[in-house]
Amino acid sequence: MSQSASTAESPASVHPPSGDHADSHDEGHHGRPWLAHHFDTPAQQFDAAKLGMWAFLGQELLFFSGVFVCYGIFRNWYPAAFSGASHELNRVMGASNTIVLLFSSWTAAMAVRAAQLGKRSQTTGFLVVTIACAFVFLVVKYFEYQHKFHLGLLPGKYYGHPTDGGGFFAAITNPEETPHLPYKAHIFFSLYFVMTGIHALHVIVGIGVLIWILKRNLNREFSKEFFTPVDLVALYWHLVDLIWIYLFPLLYLID
Amino acid sequence: MSDTTHSASHDQHAHDDGAVHSHISSARFYVGIFATLVVLTVLTVGISYIHLGALNLAVAIVIASIKASLVVMFFMHLRYDNRFNALIFVCSLMFIGVFFAYTLNDTGHRGEVDVEQGTEFLPADGKAAPGGMPEMKDEGPATRRHESEHGAQVGGPLPDQDQGKKTPP
Repeated sequence: MSQSASTAESPASVHPPSGDHADSHDEGHHGRPWLAHHFDTPAQQFDAAKLGMWAFLGQELLFFSGVFVCYGIFRNWYPAAFSGASHELNRVMGASNTIVLLFSSWTAAMAVRAAQLGKRSQTTGFLVVTIACAFVFLVVKYFEYQHKFHLGLLPGKYYGHPTDGGGFFAAITNPEETPHLPYKAHIFFSLYFVMTGIHALHVIVGIGVLIWILKRNLNREFSKEFFTPVDLVALYWHLVDLIWIYLFPLLYLID
Repeated sequence: MSDTTHSASHDQHAHDDGAVHSHISSARFYVGIFATLVVLTVLTVGISYIHLGALNLAVAIVIASIKASLVVMFFMHLRYDNRFNALIFVCSLMFIGVFFAYTLNDTGHRGEVDVEQGTEFLPADGKAAPGGMPEMKDEGPATRRHESEHGAQVGGPLPDQDQGKKTPP
């Protein structure tokens, strides 16, 4: 069963107005303001948009692969440090965040589906839930980070109870509670904060673009014929979920 | 949400209207994928409590990859999308694979320099590392410390490593 788009155009839109747009190539574009002038058909625009987005996602994968390879090197060199340090992480919070992101991935996919079916309010609903899940993820992250700061499980040279930093770390860390971890454990926490930090930045940007698309949806910009921006933003959100799918076992579940 | 539209994938060139014809999965299907992802998450957490040694990492990565495949193929529609997009994705994975393989192979087989002997040895068993610097033998003036035509000090063991042998001043 195909989803035809031909019902969208009214007869009035077929006739171009006088002026610059008298060119016959622009016929049909005026009934569809979302169709950019340099594309001949919606299908071409859709294909180009998707291609561009997948090229960006390919870059994002390669971008994150840098920190993942770094993780691989140091876990290979200091397995005891990684094992010990990983046990300091809260698996319940990590697993909960995993479920939250998987759920938000589902709601994002459902939002795209609703947009494909032209169901505006349903799209709104699913986008709102996706954004809410993103906030829940960040709140859990906040408590995780706070706990680590308190214990002195800080990245690199700030590990333990550092006195540099103008007393900032002295105020938030409690040296009596710093656990005794194997040699080089600070490297694990460097990687932990960089990997989850960059991921959290991506979540924050994701919240931004999801709100932008939500606003555009409320402005009735999307339809059965044009749902591409919802599709692309959902693709970005799925990538954020993908990264976490690998981050979770590598950071939280080391034996 | 009871809409069960499940159209087969169409070659877009078969339609002359130029409209977008993209595959729409059913709501039930998406819920099924989500449920599978949750089950796999529970599985990976459960297995992490069993001590399998080196296998723990392998199993965790395999399960994570299955979850990732489900997200990419169905939530991200790559299964039903233009094949070229899948090519981009697979090529990124291949490059990441090369990055991992070469880097871990290199860093995983590094020896350390033994300053006393001037050789490289494998930390695990103390044996000489392959391709490491060989011990300098005294095979004539060229292998002893001397000044080259450019005025640099070359040849022989490093200073204060005379290994008990006589070295020229």
